[in-house]
Amino acid sequence: MVKLLKYCLSLYLVVLSLACHEKEPELDASQRRALAEEVFKNGSHLPQGSPKSMTRIEEAIKIDTTYAEAIRELSVAYLKRGMPHKWRPIMDRAVYYDAKTWQPWRGYLYLWFYRDYEKAIADFNASDTLTPHIDYPQGHSVDFWRGIAYLGLKDYENSIAYWDKHIVKETNDSGEDWVELEAFLYRGIAHYESGNTDKAMENFEKILQYFKVSADAKYYMAKIFLERKQHKKAKKFLEEAKVDFKKGFYNNRPYVEALREIYWEDLEGLGTSIGN
Amino acid sequence: MKKWLKIFLFSLLGLVLLFLGFVGYGYYNYWGKFPVDEQKYSHNVEYINPDEARLNDGFKLCNERRIAQYYNPEKATYSKGKNRLRAFIMKNYVNKGYQDSGYLNIRFVINCHGKAGRYIMHENDLDLNPKKLDQDMVEQLFQLTTQLKEWNPNFIREEFYDSYMYLSYRIENGEIIEILP
Repeated sequence: MVKLLKYCLSLYLVVLSLACHEKEPELDASQRRALAEEVFKNGSHLPQGSPKSMTRIEEAIKIDTTYAEAIRELSVAYLKRGMPHKWRPIMDRAVYYDAKTWQPWRGYLYLWFYRDYEKAIADFNASDTLTPHIDYPQGHSVDFWRGIAYLGLKDYENSIAYWDKHIVKETNDSGEDWVELEAFLYRGIAHYESGNTDKAMENFEKILQYFKVSADAKYYMAKIFLERKQHKKAKKFLEEAKVDFKKGFYNNRPYVEALREIYWEDLEGLGTSIGN
Repeated sequence: MKKWLKIFLFSLLGLVLLFLGFVGYGYYNYWGKFPVDEQKYSHNVEYINPDEARLNDGFKLCNERRIAQYYNPEKATYSKGKNRLRAFIMKNYVNKGYQDSGYLNIRFVINCHGKAGRYIMHENDLDLNPKKLDQDMVEQLFQLTTQLKEWNPNFIREEFYDSYMYLSYRIENGEIIEILP
């Protein structure tokens, strides 16, 4: 009987201690973010798209449901693996919570992974009003990306206008030698495709002024010389383009094909047109 | 046993245990402590279930447990290049009056010998929402894609790997506008 009483008393004390246990204090927004960041960043070495990585990102988002950086990272594995129906709703959620950062970035992804130029331009345009400054998703300005997107749409007027804007700004900010070679290349292509070979040539020459090797610039120059019936020059530039191409100096991108990417067959085809 | 030998053996044992402790602690911190939501993520997100895939019978991988991504250096690519891949598809695809628009994504595996198999498809509209596309068009593109037989396998650190690959067809009113990636 005494024993039973002891047990009952012990059980009562345990229940009492549990009942009196203070509730964990609720975290405020900044504390939740700090904790979510810790969970997210601690597992940044885990292989992208692996169960452990995805679980840990979900865990971080569960702590702070507005943590756009983690939400966006959750989408990346689907993007790179060709699963757009899974990528888009997650990426849209990242944009919803942090449009300033992720809307221009989404534009970049629409541009390259889906070649949806109109959606890309809409996102780049949105960034004009979202922030007072020019955004640089993935290392280039939204004007740079708009120049490419409009070229994809074959809207040469707008493409050239954005290249002009981008190149002038970069030149004023850092000097012409800091302007990306792709800017001159794509502006040159836009001029070339719209029939202005003089302007196109200026841009391709500009590339060679700053960087001696470029299969793309030399390929287009060879095309222009051929159109001008300057066969000797066309042949010379084509031969140089082939050398540069073999060395790997041509416009290309990781993950996806570049817009207007040139191939060995293009060089050979031009060679046939030039003839001996 | 001599006393000095005992001391030496115990010291050695201590060092070994210490080393194992360090290794275990490192492993735990790097990998072991991260849980997995088995319900939601039983495999990597790109996993293609062989039982649900097409053209998997007789398709052998070099290592089922180690399938890379197509973009890992050096990339897995079509043996004749992207340009010829595009040329082949565009030359042989026939729009039989299809009106559908959207993205048809065909995912598959390229094994370490450059053979392709284990295909699955995702059909979406142009806003990337799941949508059934014209089944005759889908089947035609599937058949053409599977005719791309020879691939350059993924190559990482002096070794050929199996890898996941995908082709995405952007289609507008039954016409192929882009072949990605």
